[in-house]
Amino acid sequence: MHELDLGIRNEVYSSFVATGRAPEPATVANALGLAEDAVAAAYRRLHDAHALVLHAGTTEIRMLNPFSAVETPHRVEAGGRSWFANCAWDALGIPAALDTDGAVRSECPDCGEPLELEVRDGGLVRGAELLVHFVVPARRWWDDIGFT
Amino acid sequence: MVFLRSEEHLERWLEQKGQEPGASMSATTLNELARRWWWTRIEPDWRPRAAAESQAILDELGLTGDFWRLA
Repeated sequence: MHELDLGIRNEVYSSFVATGRAPEPATVANALGLAEDAVAAAYRRLHDAHALVLHAGTTEIRMLNPFSAVETPHRVEAGGRSWFANCAWDALGIPAALDTDGAVRSECPDCGEPLELEVRDGGLVRGAELLVHFVVPARRWWDDIGFT
Repeated sequence: MVFLRSEEHLERWLEQKGQEPGASMSATTLNELARRWWWTRIEPDWRPRAAAESQAILDELGLTGDFWRLA
Protein backbone atom coordinates (compact mmCIF):
# COMPACT_ATOMS: atom_id res chain seq x y z
CA MET A 1 0.00 0.00 0.00
CA HIS A 2 1.35 3.44 -1.00
CA GLU A 3 2.45 5.67 1.89
CA LEU A 4 -0.04 8.37 0.84
CA ASP A 5 -2.92 5.91 0.96
CA LEU A 6 -1.70 4.52 4.27
CA GLY A 7 -1.60 8.01 5.78
CA ILE A 8 -5.09 8.78 4.50
CA ARG A 9 -6.39 5.45 5.76
CA ASN A 10 -4.95 6.06 9.21
CA GLU A 11 -6.40 9.59 9.32
CA VAL A 12 -9.83 8.20 8.35
CA TYR A 13 -9.75 5.70 11.22
CA SER A 14 -8.42 8.27 13.67
CA SER A 15 -11.16 10.71 12.72
CA PHE A 16 -13.85 8.05 12.97
CA VAL A 17 -12.75 6.90 16.41
CA ALA A 18 -12.52 10.50 17.64
CA THR A 19 -15.88 11.66 16.30
CA GLY A 20 -17.96 8.52 15.69
CA ARG A 21 -18.56 9.71 12.12
CA ALA A 22 -16.91 8.61 8.90
CA PRO A 23 -15.08 11.61 7.41
CA GLU A 24 -15.75 12.81 3.89
CA PRO A 25 -12.72 13.27 1.61
CA ALA A 26 -12.88 17.04 2.15
CA THR A 27 -12.45 16.61 5.91
CA VAL A 28 -9.39 14.39 5.49
CA ALA A 29 -8.01 16.69 2.80
CA ASN A 30 -8.21 19.62 5.22
CA ALA A 31 -6.61 17.65 8.04
CA LEU A 32 -3.68 16.48 5.92
CA GLY A 33 -3.27 19.52 3.65
CA LEU A 34 -4.12 17.55 0.52
CA ALA A 35 -6.38 18.19 -2.45
CA GLU A 36 -9.87 16.78 -2.05
CA ASP A 37 -9.68 14.99 -5.41
CA ALA A 38 -6.48 13.24 -4.34
CA VAL A 39 -8.11 12.02 -1.14
CA ALA A 40 -11.21 10.86 -3.02
CA ALA A 41 -9.00 8.88 -5.39
CA ALA A 42 -7.21 7.36 -2.40
CA TYR A 43 -10.58 6.34 -0.90
CA ARG A 44 -11.30 4.39 -4.10
CA ARG A 45 -7.91 2.68 -4.00
CA LEU A 46 -8.38 1.83 -0.32
CA HIS A 47 -11.78 0.35 -1.17
CA ASP A 48 -10.20 -1.79 -3.91
CA ALA A 49 -7.51 -2.89 -1.42
CA HIS A 50 -10.20 -3.86 1.15
CA ALA A 51 -8.83 -1.30 3.61
CA LEU A 52 -12.27 0.33 3.86
CA VAL A 53 -15.63 -0.14 2.14
CA LEU A 54 -17.45 2.59 0.21
CA HIS A 55 -21.09 2.78 -0.78
CA ALA A 56 -21.20 1.64 -4.40
CA GLY A 57 -20.20 4.31 -6.89
CA THR A 58 -19.46 6.94 -4.24
CA THR A 59 -16.70 8.10 -1.90
CA GLU A 60 -19.05 7.75 1.07
CA ILE A 61 -17.70 5.30 3.64
CA ARG A 62 -19.90 2.35 4.57
CA MET A 63 -17.48 0.22 6.62
CA LEU A 64 -14.27 0.82 8.49
CA ASN A 65 -13.97 -2.72 9.73
CA PRO A 66 -14.70 -3.57 12.45
CA PHE A 67 -16.80 -0.40 12.61
CA SER A 68 -19.87 0.27 10.49
CA ALA A 69 -20.68 3.79 9.39
CA VAL A 70 -24.33 2.81 8.92
CA GLU A 71 -26.89 1.36 11.29
CA THR A 72 -26.83 -2.43 11.68
CA PRO A 73 -28.37 -5.01 14.06
CA HIS A 74 -25.07 -5.17 15.97
CA ARG A 75 -24.65 -2.33 18.45
CA VAL A 76 -21.57 -2.01 20.65
CA GLU A 77 -20.99 0.17 23.69
CA ALA A 78 -17.26 0.66 24.15
CA GLY A 79 -14.82 3.42 24.96
CA GLY A 80 -17.59 5.75 26.12
CA ARG A 81 -19.40 5.69 22.80
CA SER A 82 -22.01 3.65 20.96
CA TRP A 83 -20.95 2.04 17.68
CA PHE A 84 -22.45 -0.14 14.99
CA ALA A 85 -20.57 -3.24 13.83
CA ASN A 86 -20.85 -4.97 10.46
CA CYS A 87 -21.33 -8.48 11.84
CA ALA A 88 -20.83 -10.68 14.90
CA TRP A 89 -17.07 -10.86 14.38
CA ASP A 90 -16.76 -7.11 14.03
CA ALA A 91 -18.98 -6.55 17.08
CA LEU A 92 -16.42 -8.31 19.24
CA GLY A 93 -13.66 -6.64 17.23
CA ILE A 94 -14.63 -3.15 18.36
CA PRO A 95 -13.65 -3.62 22.03
CA ALA A 96 -10.52 -5.38 20.75
CA ALA A 97 -9.60 -2.51 18.42
CA LEU A 98 -10.30 0.10 21.10
CA ASP A 99 -8.48 -2.03 23.70
CA THR A 100 -11.30 -1.60 26.17
CA ASP A 101 -14.25 -3.38 27.72
CA GLY A 102 -17.44 -3.47 25.71
CA ALA A 103 -21.07 -4.55 25.61
CA VAL A 104 -22.60 -5.99 22.44
CA ARG A 105 -26.31 -6.04 21.73
CA SER A 106 -27.37 -8.07 18.73
CA GLU A 107 -30.30 -10.29 17.84
CA CYS A 108 -30.86 -13.89 16.88
CA PRO A 109 -31.73 -13.89 13.15
CA ASP A 110 -33.98 -16.91 13.70
CA CYS A 111 -36.24 -15.71 16.50
CA GLY A 112 -35.40 -11.99 16.62
CA GLU A 113 -34.77 -12.10 20.35
CA PRO A 114 -32.09 -9.75 21.67
CA LEU A 115 -28.70 -11.24 22.46
CA GLU A 116 -26.24 -9.61 24.80
CA LEU A 117 -22.53 -10.16 25.19
CA GLU A 118 -19.95 -8.44 27.34
CA VAL A 119 -16.19 -8.29 27.06
CA ARG A 120 -14.13 -7.45 30.12
CA ASP A 121 -10.33 -7.39 30.22
CA GLY A 122 -10.36 -9.13 26.84
CA GLY A 123 -12.47 -12.05 27.98
CA LEU A 124 -16.08 -12.83 27.17
CA VAL A 125 -17.94 -12.63 30.49
CA ARG A 126 -21.48 -12.67 29.09
CA GLY A 127 -22.92 -14.45 26.07
CA ALA A 128 -20.41 -17.31 26.06
CA GLU A 129 -23.27 -19.77 25.55
CA LEU A 130 -24.13 -18.23 22.18
CA LEU A 131 -23.29 -19.77 18.84
CA VAL A 132 -21.68 -17.99 15.89
CA HIS A 133 -22.17 -19.04 12.29
CA PHE A 134 -20.16 -18.14 9.20
CA VAL A 135 -22.11 -18.76 6.00
CA VAL A 136 -19.40 -17.70 3.54
CA PRO A 137 -16.06 -19.55 3.21
CA ALA A 138 -12.97 -17.44 3.96
CA ARG A 139 -11.74 -17.18 0.38
CA ARG A 140 -15.06 -15.61 -0.64
CA TRP A 141 -15.44 -13.11 2.23
CA TRP A 142 -14.66 -10.17 -0.03
CA ASP A 143 -16.82 -11.30 -2.99
CA ASP A 144 -19.74 -9.49 -1.34
CA ILE A 145 -18.58 -8.08 1.98
CA GLY A 146 -22.04 -6.74 2.78
CA PHE A 147 -23.49 -10.25 2.64
CA THR A 148 -20.51 -11.80 4.41
CA MET B 1 -21.43 -13.71 10.53
CA VAL B 2 -24.25 -13.87 13.04
CA PHE B 3 -24.84 -14.72 16.69
CA LEU B 4 -27.55 -17.31 17.29
CA ARG B 5 -29.19 -18.53 20.45
CA SER B 6 -28.44 -22.23 19.86
CA GLU B 7 -27.93 -25.04 17.33
CA GLU B 8 -31.70 -25.39 17.10
CA HIS B 9 -32.06 -21.75 16.11
CA LEU B 10 -29.24 -22.13 13.59
CA GLU B 11 -30.83 -25.15 11.90
CA ARG B 12 -34.19 -23.40 11.66
CA TRP B 13 -32.62 -20.20 10.33
CA LEU B 14 -30.64 -22.02 7.62
CA GLU B 15 -33.75 -23.95 6.59
CA GLN B 16 -35.83 -20.76 6.40
CA LYS B 17 -33.18 -19.09 4.25
CA GLY B 18 -32.55 -22.17 2.11
CA GLN B 19 -28.91 -21.67 2.99
CA GLU B 20 -26.29 -24.41 3.06
CA PRO B 21 -24.53 -24.64 6.44
CA GLY B 22 -21.15 -22.93 6.66
CA ALA B 23 -19.09 -23.16 9.84
CA SER B 24 -19.94 -22.56 13.48
CA MET B 25 -17.92 -21.68 16.54
CA SER B 26 -18.60 -20.61 20.09
CA ALA B 27 -18.87 -16.93 20.98
CA THR B 28 -15.80 -17.46 23.17
CA THR B 29 -13.74 -18.61 20.20
CA LEU B 30 -15.03 -15.71 18.12
CA ASN B 31 -13.97 -13.29 20.86
CA GLU B 32 -10.47 -14.72 20.78
CA LEU B 33 -10.44 -14.49 16.99
CA ALA B 34 -11.67 -10.88 17.18
CA ARG B 35 -8.94 -9.96 19.65
CA ARG B 36 -6.18 -11.42 17.52
CA TRP B 37 -7.60 -10.11 14.24
CA TRP B 38 -8.58 -6.55 15.13
CA TRP B 39 -6.30 -5.38 17.94
CA THR B 40 -3.98 -3.36 15.69
CA ARG B 41 -6.70 -1.83 13.56
CA ILE B 42 -6.57 1.73 14.93
CA GLU B 43 -2.89 1.78 15.84
CA PRO B 44 -1.27 4.94 14.39
CA ASP B 45 1.39 2.84 12.67
CA TRP B 46 -1.07 0.28 11.26
CA ARG B 47 0.04 -1.53 8.12
CA PRO B 48 -1.78 -4.19 6.09
CA ARG B 49 -1.22 -7.68 7.42
CA ALA B 50 0.19 -10.29 5.08
CA ALA B 51 -2.25 -13.00 4.05
CA ALA B 52 -0.01 -15.63 5.64
CA GLU B 53 -0.24 -13.83 8.99
CA SER B 54 -4.03 -13.75 8.77
CA GLN B 55 -4.08 -17.43 7.88
CA ALA B 56 -1.86 -18.15 10.88
CA ILE B 57 -4.35 -16.48 13.21
CA LEU B 58 -7.11 -18.77 11.93
CA ASP B 59 -4.85 -21.82 12.14
CA GLU B 60 -3.82 -21.05 15.73
CA LEU B 61 -7.46 -21.12 16.78
CA GLY B 62 -8.04 -24.47 15.09
CA LEU B 63 -9.95 -22.87 12.22
CA THR B 64 -8.46 -25.15 9.62
CA GLY B 65 -9.74 -26.96 6.57
CA ASP B 66 -10.92 -25.70 3.23
CA PHE B 67 -13.65 -23.43 4.66
CA TRP B 68 -11.03 -21.35 6.46
CA ARG B 69 -8.49 -21.04 3.65
CA LEU B 70 -8.15 -17.35 2.71
CA ALA B 71 -6.81 -18.12 -0.76
